[in-house]
Amino acid sequence: MTGTQSAATTTAVSVQNVCKVYQRDSLQINVLDGLNLEVPQGEFVALMGPSGSGKTTLLNLIAGIDRVTSGRVTVAGTDLGPLSEGELARWRSRHIGFIFQFYNLIPVLNALENVELPLLLSSLSRRERRERALTALRIVGLSDRAKHYPRQLSGGQEQRVAIARAVVTDPTVLVADEPTGDLDHQSAEEILTLMETFNQEFHKTIVMVTHDPRAATRAHIQHHLDKGVLSD
Amino acid sequence: MKFTPLILKHLRRNWIRTLSTVLAMSVCILLFCTLHTVVEAVNFGLHAGNAGRLVTRHYVSLVFNLPINYKQRVAAVPGVTEVVANAWFGGIYRDPKNFFANFATEPEKFLELYPEIMLPEDQKQAWFHDRRGCIIGRKLAQRFGWKIGDTFELESSIPPYRVGHPFDFVVDGIYDTDEAKYPGTDLNSMYFDYKYLYEATSQRIGIGWLTEKIDDPKHAGAISKAIDAEFENSDTPTKTETEQAFLAGFVAMAGNLALLLNGIGLAVAFTILLVTANTMSIAVRERQQEIGVLKTLGFSSGLVMTLILSEALLIGVLGGLLGIFISVGILKVLPQIPMIGDVLAGYPNFGLSPATTAIGVGIALLLGLAAGFFPAMTGYRARITETLRQV
Repeated sequence: MTGTQSAATTTAVSVQNVCKVYQRDSLQINVLDGLNLEVPQGEFVALMGPSGSGKTTLLNLIAGIDRVTSGRVTVAGTDLGPLSEGELARWRSRHIGFIFQFYNLIPVLNALENVELPLLLSSLSRRERRERALTALRIVGLSDRAKHYPRQLSGGQEQRVAIARAVVTDPTVLVADEPTGDLDHQSAEEILTLMETFNQEFHKTIVMVTHDPRAATRAHIQHHLDKGVLSD
Repeated sequence: MKFTPLILKHLRRNWIRTLSTVLAMSVCILLFCTLHTVVEAVNFGLHAGNAGRLVTRHYVSLVFNLPINYKQRVAAVPGVTEVVANAWFGGIYRDPKNFFANFATEPEKFLELYPEIMLPEDQKQAWFHDRRGCIIGRKLAQRFGWKIGDTFELESSIPPYRVGHPFDFVVDGIYDTDEAKYPGTDLNSMYFDYKYLYEATSQRIGIGWLTEKIDDPKHAGAISKAIDAEFENSDTPTKTETEQAFLAGFVAMAGNLALLLNGIGLAVAFTILLVTANTMSIAVRERQQEIGVLKTLGFSSGLVMTLILSEALLIGVLGGLLGIFISVGILKVLPQIPMIGDVLAGYPNFGLSPATTAIGVGIALLLGLAAGFFPAMTGYRARITETLRQV
């Protein structure tokens, strides 16, 4: 199901003529080839495509954790190209909330400490960090599991903690890489409902990579990637 | 400070690995602190030598005696104000493990030359007038519970001094010292009249060495040369040196002690560096994906590197403090151990100095830093997309 694009006045993500080439030994692999994409502010966009199509690469470029070979990526009004590594890291901490397929919680930290982790980079006091983290956990429905460690949580609960971690800094864009890929059907539905909530109630722009057509239907807009080229 | 809980939690992640690395570090630091304290004590003991005293011995070795008439000839050398004849008796009290230093000397002149040996006047006089009398140090008296008037026997291990029966002695005096004024003075020795030894051996023995008092320590070199020149072409040439150089010669018999002990310390430190570096490398390798996540969240490469280095430094600090703590205990116990305690008893204030403690902590920090450097660089250079790809 393809959603209609809302008439947003600002663009959250702008990808212009982007190429990404990986060097593997003597081989050059063209992953993205002159790709263009616009994601309006407040939209929920799904990127679909077969394995090796470049979806995750595109997501990484939008999130600022990889660099383009050529072209331009502008997110939240910032052209990522000229930023140094340190500037990019600082920018990510303020503007990007990343949701991983395998949750990637820090195992030695409990749920509250995992959610609080991005806030360590801010100038908030300990009390303020704790309050924000607890609020985020409350939103995802896990405030009673704050002191539990990842090994004590189910997959769905871990992903909810990961989502809380992604939203606790109030980022401009949420990027999700196969957020339901490792979950059973019921947990996957819960996660997608949560993401819809963040999009509709909190007006978060979400860019989600998924293989799952059912997950893709939750998005307003679906794009298909094949061999590094985007189609609607 | 806000990252401290994160660092501590990572150290607790595999507490057995962390604990064993801390223990290894503590062994290194305790070894350094203990060995360095021993070296410091030995060096301190060398300072007990007086600059105004010279020692003349057989050129080849202290084992060989000097002729009796050398004393008068040395006394006649310009700059020499007093000469005392001495011999190492090497006596054993009941059992070799009861070892203590015992010397034959000339009582009156000995006490003149050695103001650090302090005796009440009545005890001095008793010793001067008692051929079988001896004086013992306060610590030696405490060790065997000897009092004034007690008697004991010593049998020498040196063949010329074995006369078919033990020598018996009477305690005429128990000497002490002013440790502030004369640091390093040995209170574990025994001195008796050289004439007793000379006569008991039927006047067949020579002199172990001569101790000279000189008019000016600045002339020590010239006077030493003059004394040795006196006997240069004789059958028994001499070697004259300051008392400090003479004492240093004993230490040198054990080889270059400082070099040996420092070498051991360095070897151990290098091994511990490898152990700690290995621990940190394994810890960082296990957390590659975690490093990718931190960087994705916005942790800069520099911050990630700092976190890893801080972990390594903390291991160093914990190991260093533990090592120092154990070293303090060992250094308190060492003087209580027989034989070892006797050797160390001559070194006042034997214990861990603030300087050695500071060096120990410094070494621990350096080792931690060095061990954490390459794993920290690995973390610094880790590329997010590659680390997140790892399962």
